[in-house]
Amino acid sequence: MSELTSNNNLSSSSTGGAAGGFNFDHVHRNALLQHQLATTSAASNNSSSNSSILPLATKTGTTIVGLVYANGIVLGADTRATNDTTVADKNCDKIHYIAPNIYCCGAGTAADTEKTTELIASQMELLRLNTGGADHSRVVTACTLLKRLLFRYQGHISAALVLGGCDPIDGPALYQIYPHGSTSKLPYTTMGSGSLAAMAIFEADYRDDLSEDEAVGLVRRAILAGIFNDLGSGSNVDTCIIRTDGSVSMGRNDIMPNEVGPLRAQVKRSEVMNIGKGTTPILKSSFVKSKMMMSGGVSLADVTVTAMET
Amino acid sequence: MFSQPLAHHQHHQSLAEADAYHGKSAETRHLKPGELSTGTTIMAVQFNGGVVLCADSRVSTGSYVANRASDKIAQLHDHIWCCRSGSAADTQALTDYVKHYLSQLAIETGRLPEVKVAAHLMRRLCYQNKDYLMAGVIVGGWDPVSNGAVYNIPLGGACIPMPFALGGSGSTFIYGLVDAEYKENMTKDEALALVRKAVSHAMARDGSSGGIIRTLVATEEGNVKEFISGNKLPYGPAGW
Amino acid sequence: MSILAYNGAAIIGMSGKDCVGIASDNRLGIQYETVAMDFKKVFKMNDRLFVGLAGLATDVQTLDQLLRFRMNLYELREERTMSPQVFTNLLSNMLYEKRFGPYFCEPVIAGLDEKGQPHLSTMDLIGAISSAKDFVVAGTCEGNLYGMCETLYKPDMDQETLFETLAQALLASVDRDALSGWGGVVHIITKDGVISRELKGRQD
Repeated sequence: MSELTSNNNLSSSSTGGAAGGFNFDHVHRNALLQHQLATTSAASNNSSSNSSILPLATKTGTTIVGLVYANGIVLGADTRATNDTTVADKNCDKIHYIAPNIYCCGAGTAADTEKTTELIASQMELLRLNTGGADHSRVVTACTLLKRLLFRYQGHISAALVLGGCDPIDGPALYQIYPHGSTSKLPYTTMGSGSLAAMAIFEADYRDDLSEDEAVGLVRRAILAGIFNDLGSGSNVDTCIIRTDGSVSMGRNDIMPNEVGPLRAQVKRSEVMNIGKGTTPILKSSFVKSKMMMSGGVSLADVTVTAMET
Repeated sequence: MFSQPLAHHQHHQSLAEADAYHGKSAETRHLKPGELSTGTTIMAVQFNGGVVLCADSRVSTGSYVANRASDKIAQLHDHIWCCRSGSAADTQALTDYVKHYLSQLAIETGRLPEVKVAAHLMRRLCYQNKDYLMAGVIVGGWDPVSNGAVYNIPLGGACIPMPFALGGSGSTFIYGLVDAEYKENMTKDEALALVRKAVSHAMARDGSSGGIIRTLVATEEGNVKEFISGNKLPYGPAGW
Repeated sequence: MSILAYNGAAIIGMSGKDCVGIASDNRLGIQYETVAMDFKKVFKMNDRLFVGLAGLATDVQTLDQLLRFRMNLYELREERTMSPQVFTNLLSNMLYEKRFGPYFCEPVIAGLDEKGQPHLSTMDLIGAISSAKDFVVAGTCEGNLYGMCETLYKPDMDQETLFETLAQALLASVDRDALSGWGGVVHIITKDGVISRELKGRQD
């Protein structure tokens, strides 16, 4: 059904109202397109006609890890996002906010991990406000909400998560959540395509009595193992420490072992690469003056405010 | 949010397709790609005054061990437990539902629920959703009416009361052993020795079972959870 | 062939000093048959915000209309213009709503934020946002575009240098892609206004 003929869409979703939920309008159309394109390209002798014409979504090839230490949780992630074999983002953020005391690493389809954690973060905040406005949530609650959502979609939402946090009831808690909705509570865990490389580091050196520095060091080494040994993972190490006292330290780009800046600086740029003004032939040029003010329109500062008499 | 049910949009494998899909056991061959499976050896045995449940601890995705120390023995109520096999996601969802129903029932009736009731709730969910589930469950525990009971709920959603029950991919290796060694009216210690011996044999022969052995004894007095770590199993390849 | 490559496209967004640019090619094709050489793929959302849509032409135009509708509604309701950050999230949510039956479209968003600083972002067809400080690309010669941009980009370019860099990166990339080309267009967004230039390119 088109956006305009569907009354429901016009009244809610397309006007920005909170209709919610997925929209399946294009499923049938896309299936027809796929069928049509598959048959026409097969007829035109295309050598690549057997491959699916459905485009690939951005995946976070990914190494993500988490571990429990005496005083809290350390989460870690690499920062590479891939689209097939192309690096789609060299420095993406895979440690997502769930609650002030809970964070979640995501692997799988980038959009799924992003939107799923966003949705659960919002549900958690509403739950806190509806139940006395505490400044923290329970990690099991986040885990249950996530697993129910993922189970409902039977693995079609491909989000593989490492959920970690500290709450006053369970202390530090770390969960591994698979796209089909199964969970396990573990002392240390890894996920994503680099999970084997990272788990090798954990299995060798994890102990129950790690100090915070040792724990962060172990997480960094596990992520680096993923970055350097797994092709789907790369770029930088992000870490996040969540302590039992409620404090959180986000280590965004904690280690940057693959900086291109210094490498590029060594390159002697050819004159050819410094393009002079007027190099490119132009057919037509125009300039449209902006009607917007730099502050982005009228602000309260621009208005004379007269106090109302009461 | 996300209110649209997805079940209507998915394509289901026909049985013929599923059979062409190689797998170790009935539980594991229906898994979707990447789905976690509790490859598994599980069993439960009645003895005088209670029930002992036993499971290995391996959870696998294909050939990768996703969790080597998992707990496949889930609590449904104070004295009622179940062993899970098949899809980890499906069996976790099932036990969560049954746990919820039983706690409601216990409050409404003001007394302990029977193992039989727990098993039949589980059976109902397994039977009604059998097209969508990959779950083989053994429900066991103690209640004042039965003084200990075991129910086997295999893939299609049947519900069979048994003096002892085996499940999971590893169970095929030890049916003969358990048939030979099982006696009626065992003591708790005899039952524990039996399940530990049997599961350690299954773990040795079945690639999808392994790790540690977890046991749970449910009696009127309460529940006792124990485990035997992987290097102290009663049976294993030489050199362990 | 992927549906995303059915009509062909090449789009770049790139940042400069207090300015940001967006460039696209002009071709509309049906696989290897060229249908039009003046197809619009970059759309002005407001004086400081442009969006480029690479992918299936029907979805490019549908999304443009839907986005304009939502922008107008936002401006009427809120009595202010939409910031690039808000726009990025709006579009991302529109795309993710159709997670299981997507628009075959990869957007590039280029604009100046409230402080006049460049904002660049792109997303995949189901709305996974990826923001960059330097440049973002989309289209059938994505690999070529990445290669050219990684080579030619310099931080803090002025308007004219940004224009030449964008133009050369685009033209060199589409010359090695059969599905895009036929000239191009470059928009340079500054706080004072927008410079738009049509590029002369190969017609084969």
